[in-house]
Amino acid sequence: MRLEIRDLAKTYPNGVRALDRVSLTIPTGMFGLLGPNGAGKSTLMRTLATLQEADAGSARLTAMNGSGDIDVLRDKDAVRRVLGYLPQDFGVYPRVSAEDLLDHFARLKGLVDAKARREAVHALLQRVNLFAVRKQKLGGFSGGMRQRFGIAQALLCDPRLVIVDEPTAGLDPEERVRFHNLLADIASDVVVILSTHIVSDVADLCNHLAVIDAGRVLVAGEPDALVANLRGRIWRKAIGKGEVEAIKSRVRLVSTRLQAGQTVVRAYGDGAPPEPGFEPVDPELEDVYFSSIAGYVGEAVDVPAAAA
Amino acid sequence: MFPQRRPDAMRSAFWSIAWFDFARRLKATSTWIYLVLYAVLAGLWMAGAGGALSSVAVSFGGDKILINGPYALTVAIGILGFVGITVIGSVSGRAVQQDFEAGIHQFFFSAPITKRDYFFGRLVGAWATLVMVFVGVAIGIVVGSHWPGVDPARVAASPAWQSFVRPYLFILIPNVLWLGGCFFVLAALTRQMAPVYVAGVIALVGYLFAVNLLGDMENKMLAGLIDPSGSIAVDVFTRYWSVAQKNEEQIPFAGVIIWNRLIWVAIGVAVTLLGYRAFRMESVAPTLRRRGKKKAVDDVEGAAVGTSSSHAALPAARPDRSAAAYARMLPGLARLYLGEIVKSPRFLTIVLGGVLLVAGNAATLGSLYGTNTYPLTYKVLDVVGGLFNVFVLIVTAIYTGELVWRERDAKMDDIADSMPAPTWLAFLAKFATVVALQVVLLVVVMLCSIAVQLLHGYTKLELGQYVMQLFVLQLSGDILLAVLALVVHTLIDNKYIGHFLVGIAFLVLIQLPLFGFEDRLYLYASAPGLIYSDLNGWGHFLPAVFWFRLYWFAFAALLMVLSYALWVRGREVRLPARLRIAAARMRAPAWAVAGAAAIVFVATGAWIWHNTHVVNPFVSRKEARQLQAEYEKRYRRFFGAPQPRITAVDVSVDLHPERQLARISGTLAIANKSGVPIRDVYVLYPRRARAKAIAFGAAAKLADEAPEMRWHHYVLEQPLAPGATTDFRFDLEYGAQGFANEGADPVVLGNGTFLNPGLTPETSLIPSFGYGEDGELASDRDRKEFGLEPKPRMHDLNDRQQVMQNALTRDADFVDYKAHFCTAADQLPVTSGYVVQDVTENGRRCIDYRMDTKMADIYSFVSARYAVKKDVWHGPQGDVAIEIDYHRGHEYNLERMVAGVQDALAYYTKHWGPYQHKIVRIVEFPRFSRSGGFAESFPNTVPFNEAIGFTAKVDDRDPNDIDYPYFVTAHEVAHQWWAHQEVPANVQGAEFITESLSEYGALMVLKTKYGDVKMHRFLKYELDGYLRGRGFESKQEQPLVRADGAQYVHYQKGSLELYALQDAIGEQAIDDAISAFLNRWKFVGPPYARSVDLLAEFRRVTPKQLQPLIDDLFETITLYDVRAVSAAAKKQADGSDAIELVVSARKIRADGGGNETEVPFDGEVDLGALDAHGNVVAIEKRRVQSGENRITLAVAKGGAVRAGIDPLGKLIDRDDKDNLVAVTR
Repeated sequence: MRLEIRDLAKTYPNGVRALDRVSLTIPTGMFGLLGPNGAGKSTLMRTLATLQEADAGSARLTAMNGSGDIDVLRDKDAVRRVLGYLPQDFGVYPRVSAEDLLDHFARLKGLVDAKARREAVHALLQRVNLFAVRKQKLGGFSGGMRQRFGIAQALLCDPRLVIVDEPTAGLDPEERVRFHNLLADIASDVVVILSTHIVSDVADLCNHLAVIDAGRVLVAGEPDALVANLRGRIWRKAIGKGEVEAIKSRVRLVSTRLQAGQTVVRAYGDGAPPEPGFEPVDPELEDVYFSSIAGYVGEAVDVPAAAA
Repeated sequence: MFPQRRPDAMRSAFWSIAWFDFARRLKATSTWIYLVLYAVLAGLWMAGAGGALSSVAVSFGGDKILINGPYALTVAIGILGFVGITVIGSVSGRAVQQDFEAGIHQFFFSAPITKRDYFFGRLVGAWATLVMVFVGVAIGIVVGSHWPGVDPARVAASPAWQSFVRPYLFILIPNVLWLGGCFFVLAALTRQMAPVYVAGVIALVGYLFAVNLLGDMENKMLAGLIDPSGSIAVDVFTRYWSVAQKNEEQIPFAGVIIWNRLIWVAIGVAVTLLGYRAFRMESVAPTLRRRGKKKAVDDVEGAAVGTSSSHAALPAARPDRSAAAYARMLPGLARLYLGEIVKSPRFLTIVLGGVLLVAGNAATLGSLYGTNTYPLTYKVLDVVGGLFNVFVLIVTAIYTGELVWRERDAKMDDIADSMPAPTWLAFLAKFATVVALQVVLLVVVMLCSIAVQLLHGYTKLELGQYVMQLFVLQLSGDILLAVLALVVHTLIDNKYIGHFLVGIAFLVLIQLPLFGFEDRLYLYASAPGLIYSDLNGWGHFLPAVFWFRLYWFAFAALLMVLSYALWVRGREVRLPARLRIAAARMRAPAWAVAGAAAIVFVATGAWIWHNTHVVNPFVSRKEARQLQAEYEKRYRRFFGAPQPRITAVDVSVDLHPERQLARISGTLAIANKSGVPIRDVYVLYPRRARAKAIAFGAAAKLADEAPEMRWHHYVLEQPLAPGATTDFRFDLEYGAQGFANEGADPVVLGNGTFLNPGLTPETSLIPSFGYGEDGELASDRDRKEFGLEPKPRMHDLNDRQQVMQNALTRDADFVDYKAHFCTAADQLPVTSGYVVQDVTENGRRCIDYRMDTKMADIYSFVSARYAVKKDVWHGPQGDVAIEIDYHRGHEYNLERMVAGVQDALAYYTKHWGPYQHKIVRIVEFPRFSRSGGFAESFPNTVPFNEAIGFTAKVDDRDPNDIDYPYFVTAHEVAHQWWAHQEVPANVQGAEFITESLSEYGALMVLKTKYGDVKMHRFLKYELDGYLRGRGFESKQEQPLVRADGAQYVHYQKGSLELYALQDAIGEQAIDDAISAFLNRWKFVGPPYARSVDLLAEFRRVTPKQLQPLIDDLFETITLYDVRAVSAAAKKQADGSDAIELVVSARKIRADGGGNETEVPFDGEVDLGALDAHGNVVAIEKRRVQSGENRITLAVAKGGAVRAGIDPLGKLIDRDDKDNLVAVTR
């Protein structure tokens, strides 16, 4: 099973081109969508989650075990049946308890049988570790607990397509770890799309990723492959604080970091150091990200169709 | 170092906040929408009042009031301003609540600005915005006043600028300020908009409550004070202003007005300051305690999860996503929404507001002259239902919006929208919830009404009527409005603008008929009105209502499908995207529903059209007026042409109540009483008569006819010679066929049919002869619209031709009367005359009536299932039978009516002359009948309205209750003398004879039974009625001798002045005059008696020095202004008091328009003293002159507490509170 997105485009009425002919092939497993704020990640998420219309293009969920393909853009009902969506920004009904609201969503997702519903709700609350506080009103939940509630409702009823939009923004490190564990446990025959601007999330979790900016896919592929692609092309140098501006104009800067009081810059150099003083260094996923955004590497590297 | 804050930096924070808010508001579309809408509203109001919109029925009371004069502008600005309470709430509430909603308040609270800057900065910004928005009202007024088509006579050429500025300064802006302040404080303290809505409702309740209080004269002041809008205070203050005053004098903001403003502004200031003190610039965190505990819980569990894998496989649950499964969810979901709303404080407060309003009004249910009626179910529903209806509309409007926006407001919409639940689930559940809310409110109405009934000790609970009226008739209309609200909120992408537009939509729907859009085929949610009567029940009116409801329900179904298709799900709110989504969403079932609805809509529409345009052609009000104008233009030239006069009436009425059918046939003996031969005869009968036969005794041909104007012109082949007689035969059928735009024809009813042939052109079911002036347009404004000159209401007092006509009928003098009246076997047919034969056979009951003497040519036919109460009056010349035909169940006041008849007959026989018949019959008719108002007097028969008198609840123990069933009965009996024995000429002053004398007679009867105190109390109401009525005169006020149909003159002023005459010359003298007048003129005519003849008799019995009084009372419009300045008592040797009174007196003459001049005063006026209980301890007539008078009054009894001039209020004085002062010793 995979999600095939072809030439998806959307322009907002104020002229902003949120999606500019985006094409991706997303297999089962964790797919990371990396990009800066305003890149178009949320627009893409919402379009796949049936909340927004695309101006052009197509998206199909293919070869679902036994059943036919689903046209994600047109057959909204079919998508919603297999969808689990955690938006970036959501509220809750403050005076309702976690258990009651989750039960309500379960009912909306089609769990008619009261007993089965109750079991599912409890199991999920256990999973996201909210069982102890299930009777508390959602208005009193902290940010992290709200996120966990959000993922619980997204996981109701065995979704086949899970879309999580910036799930760990605002969570503390411990909560982030917990969240990752939750996601990692999702069955292997599920397409999970995770959008974030935290590169390490993707590095840890995803077996495929794409970098998107200004509505365009810059690179796509497996993390290892993409990193390997950059081997021998990333260089680092420690410089003085005041030299950053100067060096920017001379080399293709990938990133600037403060390490133990020193300014360390990483730069892109094709085969040779960009200038004297740079030493070669093993590339990381972050370098892939910054290099793509900066435009040093382009060409989406499509993952060949894996086994469905 | 940190720079010191400069003082003016502090000050500028306030101004920059205020200015920023104001500027932001200026750029918001909603602000301009409000402004434009108010301008349009005001403009339409003005243009309509000025006559530019030909079908608009807006009026400030009276056609002579300048629409941009001080009074009219104050009323307009006051009302329009108060209608804007929603806008005030929205703007001032949102000014601060927006910050909390957007979460931006934290920035402000953590910035270096003081609470004062923030609070007052926001408040001032909101105020400035509101003042600007309401400038729209002024713009609209100016534009509307000069709209093409506005009658220039109604518009002052250069209106005083004070007329505009003063209402703004004293009414509108204070309202904006104090209401705005209160709403602002509420929103600031609660950080929500909900309490603001509630407060708005409460303010509305306060206003409605005050309106109701006005009904009782004693509470005028209180009503003026508690009304938050100030407009009732204005009404109270100008209550007795004449038309001239209303047009010229600026309303002084003094008295009750200034007190009202001070009270409410003080409340506003107090609330604002208290709110300011309570306001905290803090960001409220969710309860920290709970949070801390939870965190602890988390941490413990967290570690565990991090390490172990606590997840067994999730239970494999099989989801059921069929339509049936989701359909089963519908009730539960609706119940969920409903429960949430019903338990919320906001809803409960609205309901409570409604209940309080009902409670406040229940005490004075339907009161008349301060007396209540029994809480019959229809009455209670009228009052309670009417008041509560506003709340139902408010709740519908607010909660439709809240429900539509529920998920978006909670920011749950992304999650909810991506669920697999079908769109129709939430859509239908929300709609069902709104309807359920309406049901809840109607249940509250029912419970409140029942409570009111039980509290009044009335146990006849007619639950069937409740169910029908509330849950069938009312609810069906409310559901249609809910659909409208739903559509608006679906289409409009802003909750607050949506609320506003829903409000406007409701208002417009209600007002559209006033603008000439009367055809119900395009008035959404309209249906013909329906009035329940105890006699007729719902009658045959229901089918029409049913058809219209079905029609509009079909349309509503289409609207629902539209709403469903365009329902917002997801982030796309722009129309093109929504249309695409709609196209995809509309599948077979939706199309099927739409298709079926469309078919039903078109089919019922066709059926309705057939009924309301083909069978019963729809005539808009404007078209009806056009017809009247056309009638006058074409046929007026025949006015006064010699026509036959009816000398004998032999009529046969065949009534089939169950089929709503009436067949009226008969023979009229006609004679030529003019001096010339008559060739052309003009016969008038209503359009809806189906003429079966019309024939003259002599050969005649129909030369011309215009049935829609009732006109049929016959030419006699052989002209009727002077003095010759012949007869006229007619056979007409009337009956409901289908229904009209206004509903089914209400003339022939299943029970309680009342045919009144002489009342109006449309009810004159018996043909009449000659051009009838009653078919003309009466209002000068209407006449001008069609190019007709204004006409006086009645012919001039000295018109030589009209003195030969009697005021009751133009085509007869006195006639012989015979009737054969048949109806259903279980009903009693009643008309004038005596029963000659009463036969019931073959399911029909027929009674033959005959009048034994000649009578005036007016009579009525009433038929219903009656119970009969018989009694008798033993008079000096024999017995008079008394019969009351009433609806079983309405036994409340029968004894009073009988007593009224007996006492009236006794008094009138003794003081005026004998009664001419041997029976007095009172017959009850349904309350909505087109044929009558209160009651009317026909020869020996008095039809009496169900809702007046029959269901009055007179509390004999309450000194303030007036026994008006008794009074009205006495009044109607008096008409047997004045109108049936003595018929006046058809000129001005006719009603002075008929109505004033009857009112005076009833007053005397009341006094005889209930005493002076009650009588004076009644006269107080009469005085109020007269003074009030003057201010709404649309032509010219006339003195009594020229009374021309204005009720406030011939009823209220008449009784006051006749009593004043009696008081001056004594009862004996006035009796002498009246009975002499009666003896001279009874059964005489033509020529007929005129008011001057009555005045001649009065002059005959009045001593010379009191002759000027006759001028004052009857020949002029005279007002007095008497005032007590001081009253000093000195004890005399013999123990009595000598009170030295200083009083001032003025006498004023007014012209027809209300312009006044002072004239010298020299006459006799009561001076007297009252004790602590208000009883008179001394009263005598003394000579009083203009200016200050010193008079010493000897008071034999002690205990004088207050003394002064005219203590009993016999003079027409606009301020009778200053007649008395405290006695100083």
